[in-house]
Amino acid sequence: MTNRRNRLLAAPLLALLALLAFAGPAAASGESVGSCMAEKLEELIEESHGDLDEVLHELHVDTSIGDHFEKKCVEAPSPILPETNEIIWGGAAFLILFVLMVKKGFPAVKGAMDARAEKIRSDLDAAEQARVDAQSVQSDYEARLADAKTEASRLIDEGRADADQVRTGLITQAEADAAGIRERAASESAAAKAQAIADLRSEVAGIALGAAERVVQASLDAEVQGRLIDAYIDEVAGTDG
Amino acid sequence: MADPMVAGYAEALFAVAAAEGDPSVVEDELFRFAQALRSDDSLGSTLADTGLPLARRLQVIEDLLGSRASAVSTALVSMVVGAGRTAELPAIVDAMVERGAASRNKTVATVRSAVDLTADQSERLAAAINTRTGRDVEVRVVIDPSVLGGVVTEIGDDIIDGSVRRRLNQLRESFR
Repeated sequence: MTNRRNRLLAAPLLALLALLAFAGPAAASGESVGSCMAEKLEELIEESHGDLDEVLHELHVDTSIGDHFEKKCVEAPSPILPETNEIIWGGAAFLILFVLMVKKGFPAVKGAMDARAEKIRSDLDAAEQARVDAQSVQSDYEARLADAKTEASRLIDEGRADADQVRTGLITQAEADAAGIRERAASESAAAKAQAIADLRSEVAGIALGAAERVVQASLDAEVQGRLIDAYIDEVAGTDG
Repeated sequence: MADPMVAGYAEALFAVAAAEGDPSVVEDELFRFAQALRSDDSLGSTLADTGLPLARRLQVIEDLLGSRASAVSTALVSMVVGAGRTAELPAIVDAMVERGAASRNKTVATVRSAVDLTADQSERLAAAINTRTGRDVEVRVVIDPSVLGGVVTEIGDDIIDGSVRRRLNQLRESFR
């Protein structure tokens, strides 16, 4: 703000310096020596109330007047210092312009600059707010992402644990089933073996008994039958053994 | 003798046999016929076949018993068959035999053997049973080839098995 104000004040000063610098040559170049001499002479006539003889006399008596004219008109004006009226007019114009600038231009420019600065400030604030909001959104997003990652990790862990549990259960069940199958197979095998042995023994017994029965029948003649009956009678009577 | 009908017939048969003389002879003949009826299914079915004329069935009885048994025994069998009680005849005869033995203060001992016992063997067996059980018995022999050899005696619910069949069965059991 201070720099802008300094620049605003420097502008009219630079204009004043330019006016002072170029006012002189303009005055010197705009008036000829003759006209200057004529003007001086006219002023001298007016001072003599139109009496040309008196004027000539004075010029003749007082030669310094001519020298004065020559000095006044032949001598070139200052290239730096402008004419006094120009300084006055220029200074007045400058003051008017400066006052106008101070009263009208500067507030307008200042208002525009302030509005601009305010707009920029509000834009910056909005941008900051947006950045903060974005950061908040980003933080929220990152938090959600972290939560999601945590949840996903938890779900994965749970799924892995469940899978391990299911796998363990299946393995245990399979081992139990296999053990049961082995046990049943062994039991069935033993039962089949025992049954086969029993069947074989029964078959052998049947064959042996069939043969024994045939032998007994063949050997049981009337005499043997009589002895068997007698032995039975003795046994019932208790006389045998 | 739980069946009243069987008991009634048995009592009637015994009364007739007693009225006609020595009932033990009739009992013995009827017992043998009853055993033949048990062992021969075709005989039983023929006598029980009501499709055959009664005279034909009575003729069968006459043919079987006429020359081997007394007229009283033949008449009693014909009476039971004519009454349509052929199927119950063995039980009726058993009850009659029990009734007769009871009338003599004895118990029937049913003896199963592959061959018939001699009179001496029957008397000695009756004496042996008396010695063992203290009961007087009348021996009734049933010829049963399945016994193979030896004797199986049944006195009421008591059984004294001295058969070769039993020994073979014991041998069979020992193989198991």
